[in-house]
Amino acid sequence: MTTNVPVIDAHPTVPGLPKNYLNCSRGFMSWAGTLDHKRIGIMYLIGTLLTFLAGGVFALLVRLHLWEPHGMLFTNEKYNQIFTLHGAFMVFLFVIPAIPGALGNMVLPLMLGAKDVALPRLNLLSFYLWLSGAVLATLAIVLGGFDTGWTFYAPYSLYTNQAVVTIGLAIFLLGFSSIFTGLNFIVTTHKLRAAGLTWFRMPLFVWAIYATAILQVLATPVLGITVLLVAFERLYHIGIFDPRLGGDPVLFEHFFWFYSHPAVYIMVLPAFGIISETVSVHSRKPLFGYKLIAFSSLAIAIISFLVWGHHMFTSGQSTYAMFAFSFLTFFVAIPTAIKEFSWVATIWKGSIALNSPMLYTLAFLIIFAIGGLTGVILGALNVDLHLHDTYFVVAHFHYVMMGSIALAFFAGLHHWWPKMFGVIYDETLAKIACGIIFVGFNITFVPQFIMGSQGMPRRYATYVDEFHGYHQVSTIGAMILGSGVALMVYYLVASLLQRKPAMENQWGGVTLDWQTPTPPPLENFYAPPKVTHEVYDYSTLDLKTLQRPVS
Amino acid sequence: MIALLTQDPQAPVNYVANPAPAPVLDKWGQLPELASTFDHVDGLFYFTYIVCIFFFFLILGVLLFSVVKYRRKTWDQPAASNVTHNTPLEVVWTVIPLIIVMVMFAWGFKGCLDMTTVPHEASRNTYVATAKQWAWDFKYPNGSTSTNEVWLVVGKPVQFYLESTDVLHAFFLPSMRVKRDIIPGRFQSVWFTPTITGEFHLFCAEYCGKDHSRMYAQAHVVTQAEFDKEPWNPPIDETNLQSLIENGKRIFGQQCVTCHTVNGTGSVGPTWKGLFTKQGDQYVGRQREVIEGGQKKTITVDDAYIIESIKQPDQKKVAESPYDRNTMSSFANLDDKRIKCLIAYIKSLADN
Ligand code: HEC
Ligand SMILES: [Cu+2]
Ligand SMILES: [Cu+2]
Repeated sequence: MTTNVPVIDAHPTVPGLPKNYLNCSRGFMSWAGTLDHKRIGIMYLIGTLLTFLAGGVFALLVRLHLWEPHGMLFTNEKYNQIFTLHGAFMVFLFVIPAIPGALGNMVLPLMLGAKDVALPRLNLLSFYLWLSGAVLATLAIVLGGFDTGWTFYAPYSLYTNQAVVTIGLAIFLLGFSSIFTGLNFIVTTHKLRAAGLTWFRMPLFVWAIYATAILQVLATPVLGITVLLVAFERLYHIGIFDPRLGGDPVLFEHFFWFYSHPAVYIMVLPAFGIISETVSVHSRKPLFGYKLIAFSSLAIAIISFLVWGHHMFTSGQSTYAMFAFSFLTFFVAIPTAIKEFSWVATIWKGSIALNSPMLYTLAFLIIFAIGGLTGVILGALNVDLHLHDTYFVVAHFHYVMMGSIALAFFAGLHHWWPKMFGVIYDETLAKIACGIIFVGFNITFVPQFIMGSQGMPRRYATYVDEFHGYHQVSTIGAMILGSGVALMVYYLVASLLQRKPAMENQWGGVTLDWQTPTPPPLENFYAPPKVTHEVYDYSTLDLKTLQRPVS
Repeated sequence: MIALLTQDPQAPVNYVANPAPAPVLDKWGQLPELASTFDHVDGLFYFTYIVCIFFFFLILGVLLFSVVKYRRKTWDQPAASNVTHNTPLEVVWTVIPLIIVMVMFAWGFKGCLDMTTVPHEASRNTYVATAKQWAWDFKYPNGSTSTNEVWLVVGKPVQFYLESTDVLHAFFLPSMRVKRDIIPGRFQSVWFTPTITGEFHLFCAEYCGKDHSRMYAQAHVVTQAEFDKEPWNPPIDETNLQSLIENGKRIFGQQCVTCHTVNGTGSVGPTWKGLFTKQGDQYVGRQREVIEGGQKKTITVDDAYIIESIKQPDQKKVAESPYDRNTMSSFANLDDKRIKCLIAYIKSLADN
């Protein structure tokens, strides 16, 4: 008997029942002009998945090129453009917007028991800003590409004769998309909670999205200003970053990381939120240390503004600055560790369903442990002086950004897929894909840790022979990883065509998102919901019918 | 290493004494052999490494155990426990990691102070490393210079002043555990004491554009006696053709190989093979279409043209695509002797 296939299918979605948000209206404009948070979420989902696939293709090209020490496919110049595209697409178009834009939009109002987000028009505007950013970024490729790395360090980004201004503008627009989404979620969380939904009854996904939103609103403007300054510097030579004009390239690094370190948490906090949900639901157990997790999200949000200098330990900053930045970096490890321990403790003595969302979650927990722990290695000042800008750093942040954030996104996608579309994917294929992705991922990046500690610098189109073996293993791993992702895309798309109906409450969740019909109606709930229980109280779950008693 | 410098791994440049080691996969979780006095980097690295491994297996163990033991057997199986928190446990797993990371912090900071406090001996043995797209120039305490190769004395503390003529670069000697960004317009320096003799990689670790990955230099750590012979400035016997050719090959390997090849395949610049052909015992220059002052014309390659190409590369640009679009920086600092070596080497390519 497989554990996770429910025996009792109490409430299959039956066609002909009251209309849901997917079939309540038809036609292009009913989507393009929609104010419904769920439809906007779906559009974000499609968009960010497409950019993820594009970024993934760039990644595979990078890995293929590195099969040979002198480079197999491209000239150095092309290679530099391709790794830049990989970074810029993944960071700005996928990792930052994907979870808040797609899953946050979809789930946050449901979890709060709201009809929609507080500012639906602003929400649609956010999406169109994202879309224009994506179009501009693609245009920048057509205009000849850009080869600055996703960090756009001055003065190289000021001198290179490529489409830096175009991509800068794209990032500027994407920044505003992010700010508006954040604003919207803050207001929604404050204003639209259902009756009885006190702050400490909010699901942790909401807490995480809320903490993220604060970061988005406070940090992103700095990025916007910085890319504008780069554009001005290129066009009008104002002399702020260009050392030839008396500017200071290190100032750029400060500006950039003042945004981009918090951005790491803009990316990872929503992932934490998803994991908090999936761990609890699929272990059928209240989250261990709920309050500590909620507060650690806020603590991370605040401290993360004060650690940006750890990206610049080699730039010759003063010893006092290094002291403070290193200290705070180690300090921020603590709330993160607390989260990891709490998730593991939640699983302990749970009722653990080994279905695909849970497998992705377990993969996350293992990979994130490595990603987080290697971050601690990098926080040590003298060790970082050796490891900085090597493949060790590359591997570390891929363990966090790809291995953790993308896997959490996949976990969330599998978790809420039945809720979003009312259909369920092929569970067996999903498990296989998860296994392939997990194995491929580790084969790709473990060798990069080794190379990095051996001194292999990052962003190298060619390399010394002694790293050949590691690079080849890494490339093989990337191909495995890529085929896992391809399989995932295949069965997800196939599930939409095969339309195998999902159940009302597919996994037995008790938060409000599982109290609405599946898929939800246009206005989410037929009657305003009321919350009378503590969050994650599975004792109220009637397992026979999979419905929580309506209060 | 050679493969790093050239597009073509077969390029017959082997001025570097030690051959590149065969690809190995036997260095899991190790730093490269330590060649300086900064042993605290290794100490803290391995300490953190062990702590990480411990916590990783702790987490993995609990996860696997739970998954096996508490796996849901029937759909309606409730959790074995509904505990929501446990304050002593939470205090423990907050405080213990906090103590551990504070130890790491203090250890790392102390090491960092060591690496940033330049001792007197080092500041009396100062080199200048000038990074430019995409080569390294070194200036020794006695004022002599070398390119893409640098010689150091074992056991003697050394300080490098780091300068950039264009964009950001970073001075990275993995074996010495030394890395520092090079920022145009800013004073930066590093110091270290090499402890073993040998050849070590010197990489550029900060992305600096097209040939970032080919911006490579080799650090030779030698004994004082060997150092005093100034191996970067070997005597050139102008009367001996073989000595000229060998030195020409060496200079090519240091300064020209990033853009030129000697085997017929084009790179950033045209290949040198075929610039001259041998007829009897005479070297005859090929016909070359060049652009001079916007005018296209055909000239015959000769010594004067080579000298001009090195000192004023923009004077006559090769008209052939894609070389006409690429630029070569002037090597006006090469003295006549070395240019003579280069010419002898270029001509010698026609010998076989
Ligand atoms: C940054 C890349 C670069 C480096 C380094 C470089 N060159 Fe060049 N070289 C070029 C390019 C590009 C051309 C063709 C365009 C031109 O004529 O200016 C060229 C042309 C030449 C030519 C004319 C070749 C012909 O076929 O007509 C000679 C001779 C030459 N270089 C010698 C040297 C020597 C000697 C060195 C080392 C001291 C050197 N170059 C280093 C890029 C480089
Ligand atoms: Cu950071
Ligand atoms: Cu570089």
